[in-house]
Amino acid sequence: MDRALITEKLTTIFRSVFNDQAIVLRDDLTANDVANWDSLSHMLMIGEAEKEFSVKFKLKELGKLEDVKSLIDLLEQKIQSK
Amino acid sequence: MSEYLIRKAKPSDIPFLADVVIASEKAMSDRLSFTTLFNKPEEEVKQLIIQMFEEEVDGCELSLSSFIVTEFEGQPISGSGAWIEGFNGNMPSGILKSNLISYTFGKESIEYLKTKSHIVKDVMIDREPMTLQLEYFHIKNEHLGKGLDDLLMKRIEENALAEYPELKKVQCQIFKNSVFSIKILLRHGFRIVGSYKSDNDDIFDYLPFNVKLLMEKEF
Repeated sequence: MDRALITEKLTTIFRSVFNDQAIVLRDDLTANDVANWDSLSHMLMIGEAEKEFSVKFKLKELGKLEDVKSLIDLLEQKIQSK
Repeated sequence: MSEYLIRKAKPSDIPFLADVVIASEKAMSDRLSFTTLFNKPEEEVKQLIIQMFEEEVDGCELSLSSFIVTEFEGQPISGSGAWIEGFNGNMPSGILKSNLISYTFGKESIEYLKTKSHIVKDVMIDREPMTLQLEYFHIKNEHLGKGLDDLLMKRIEENALAEYPELKKVQCQIFKNSVFSIKILLRHGFRIVGSYKSDNDDIFDYLPFNVKLLMEKEF
């Protein structure tokens, strides 16, 4: 799966979980930029991403997620290593 | 009073701290959000809380480093958690806690949460960066009324100010039905600065109460 497709699928997840159809993913997007990105919705977003891409994040990996770019990088890496 | 030893929490305290978290989360009710929102029995929840503490993620309410413990005759009798929000470049504590729960509780629990999260949204309160966040303050019943809360509050504030002298305030999020804890906080100079209410009656099946207060004290 290439980066563009990961971004597209992740955009669908973000729009649904954070309840905002206008969200456009960009590399430096963080929880501070999205109104509904709180602790509850963060859990749901991680859960949806794991389900959609059939991956399981390690706690250390989650702890390094600083922005959308790091999430896409991690997904790309985990999908490739499957 | 001198027989009380107040110290930083250590790994051997973790099972006790799991009990502290459970007792504090219930907040004078029998509702434990870790069970009701994630569809897990309390015994399993206790083990999962222990696992989360053992991960030693700093900077949130499930961090071993956030806690101080009081010992009496060699046994832990109180546990209190507090951390400086976002200190040392830490992520927001809510995200750290969510990562811990996502990792520990598993897919089915997160799927279950998805069907319930709308019920509790209205009582979720953002934490203010670079403030001291007080969460979980539990003293065993037989040691209540002996002035230990004064000692603990003082120690928590001293520890935080030693770490970050520019600290401006301490905040605490607390359900409105926790009347005794609210009284203690008011006595220690806290005031109520916000009230967050859910009008969804189902919330009583999942959380201790439908109103959460934000209390704070400036240094």
